[in-house]
Amino acid sequence: MMQLIPPAIAVLGGLGFAMAAMLVWASKAFHVETDPLVDALIELMPGANCGACGFPGCADCAEHIVAGDVTPDICTSCDAERFELIGELLGIEISTAEPTYPVILCQGGTNCKDRYDYIGADTCRAAILLAGTKKACSYGCIGLGDCVRACMFDAIEIADNGLPRIKKYNCKGCGSCVRECPQQVLTIAKEHGPVYVVCSSHDKGKYVKEICEFGCIGCGICKKNCPEGAIKLVKALAVIDQEKCTQCGTCIDVCPRNAIVKL
Amino acid sequence: MMDIVTPGYMPHEALFPIVVDAMFTKNFLLVMFLGLCSFVGLTTNSETSKGMSMAVTFVMTMSAILTWPIFYYLLKPNHLMFLQTICFILVIASFVQLVEFIIHRYSPPLYRSLGIYLPLISTNCAVLGVVLLNVKEDFSYGASIVYAFGAGLGYSWVMLATAAVREKLIMRGVDLFNGFIGAFFAAMMMALIVVSYFSVVKL
Amino acid sequence: MAEKSFVGEIIRGIIKDNPVFVLVLGLCPTLAVTTSFANGLGMSLAFAFVMLGSNIFVSAIRKITPPGVRIPVFLLIICTFVTMVDMLLEAYLPPMYEALGIFVPLIVVNCIVIGRAEAYANRNPVLPSIADAIGISIGYMLVLLLIGSIRELFGTGKLQLVMLMSGAEGIKFYNIGNPLTIPIDPAVMMITPPGAFLTIGTLMLLFKIIGDRKRIRQLRKEGVEL
Repeated sequence: MMQLIPPAIAVLGGLGFAMAAMLVWASKAFHVETDPLVDALIELMPGANCGACGFPGCADCAEHIVAGDVTPDICTSCDAERFELIGELLGIEISTAEPTYPVILCQGGTNCKDRYDYIGADTCRAAILLAGTKKACSYGCIGLGDCVRACMFDAIEIADNGLPRIKKYNCKGCGSCVRECPQQVLTIAKEHGPVYVVCSSHDKGKYVKEICEFGCIGCGICKKNCPEGAIKLVKALAVIDQEKCTQCGTCIDVCPRNAIVKL
Repeated sequence: MMDIVTPGYMPHEALFPIVVDAMFTKNFLLVMFLGLCSFVGLTTNSETSKGMSMAVTFVMTMSAILTWPIFYYLLKPNHLMFLQTICFILVIASFVQLVEFIIHRYSPPLYRSLGIYLPLISTNCAVLGVVLLNVKEDFSYGASIVYAFGAGLGYSWVMLATAAVREKLIMRGVDLFNGFIGAFFAAMMMALIVVSYFSVVKL
Repeated sequence: MAEKSFVGEIIRGIIKDNPVFVLVLGLCPTLAVTTSFANGLGMSLAFAFVMLGSNIFVSAIRKITPPGVRIPVFLLIICTFVTMVDMLLEAYLPPMYEALGIFVPLIVVNCIVIGRAEAYANRNPVLPSIADAIGISIGYMLVLLLIGSIRELFGTGKLQLVMLMSGAEGIKFYNIGNPLTIPIDPAVMMITPPGAFLTIGTLMLLFKIIGDRKRIRQLRKEGVEL
């Protein structure tokens, strides 16, 4: 048995030494040159990889920022404090854009009748497949929370009225929920911004009256009263042209259905 | 004094039964119970399952290729079979580290999708299990490579199937079966199929 | 930080940090060797040996282990103990060695051993590490014995308790008393892989339901809105 000790030491020692030498060589031979500035910037980035900047991840965005392709304010997930740190690192001034939050262009939720009792996968995408969505309004919010699941910052939740509610203190305006919504009733708006018709329904007015308490019926009163002529009717739904709108608020007062809101 | 039988290069065992064995009747996850920790952890969505499956199949095959000569030419002639565990681990871990270096250098996208699983695999019982079983079953070089590849395929199909089931379970919102419990019951169904169906067909 | 007592650490390893049901680690041997009470006991004793040895050693050299290579160092230490227990089993308890098969060498990559070495033994002095090892080993043993008993009882209709002791034929696993029998037709499925998954799935489900009830009761007591 003792005669096994020298070969054991030789084999194990030799193998270990060989592997170690190979790894030391490999770590030098395959060394990836990383710009220390990019590494430092990646540390400062939010790291959420939300994709709002258009790049597949914070690491990629950092590379493009250092390369000069884009300016840092493309990152919507950064807050003022972070921008200050990034600005310090890169030696530049960063002017931050206004925060943009999503708005929900629907006031249905529990106010809107259901077309049928839905028993199926707990996701909006599934609930819109049959007979023109499970809500009586084919254009409105389903309320099963695909947007909630899409949010990486826990900034959106389904409120008691069956509609999504934005938690502004967490929202970074990345737009994941907007992209995710299969009914496309979410859209990005500036915080204290313009006036919106919070309805997406193109159904005829008589039908909308039956199914939803606040839906736009396409009566056209807002259009008649708008001093700038910024409103037009698209298939029984009022649409406000944000370029022409002066936010005077006349339409909000005259709408019989309370379907227009100033955010 | 033991006779040292020079092992052959060409497989003398039939290869098809070996592959079917590795993929079904002796499936690594469902029957041999190897690699379960990564199984319950990574089958929550299909993206991670795909990445892990590819990485595991690759590492298993390469480990078989590398460790077979070490056992039959280095350890066995010197009667050092008791060193097999440590030597295999050494080789597998070093190889995985080397692959990680190479991928990081030559393909950053591949590194981002696959590379993060590699350190996880070096201590995966499935990979060490393949290598130890190759030695135990005394396969020839070719057969052991085929066996390792088959084992990787077996691991992959179970991972992908379970990921599909678990994603659906999460959608449906059955709270009790979230997490590991769902994974175990899914695995139980698949094990039932594999054990009872394929045992009937004798090869 | 409150003074951690030796016994307290042991109890933590059994309940709060139970390796299988709480940490969900080391599942492979848990399902594979629990085809009977005896196999479960054998595996847990081998595991305890490795766990104790590795924790003591890793803790003893923690001050001089360079952080970059600590995983290979841990693997080396654990592997030594695993090879030792492997050879001991092969020499002195051949039937148990046959039954456990490749799962004894696989203790080296058991997530529990490496995990505890990294998370605990590497940062704490030797005595608490010993307590941790004992606690985790006892916790693991209880799990293995529980699952092994269930599978053996329902799979073969009888449960045979064994213990490692020194007796007429030297040190080996002796039967304690007569096997406990239940008057049912044995469900052979329990011995097979699907039975393993069924057992552990059901146990986890049970623990989850109990844990959830407890947590809800706790929250209700604190007056939290549910």
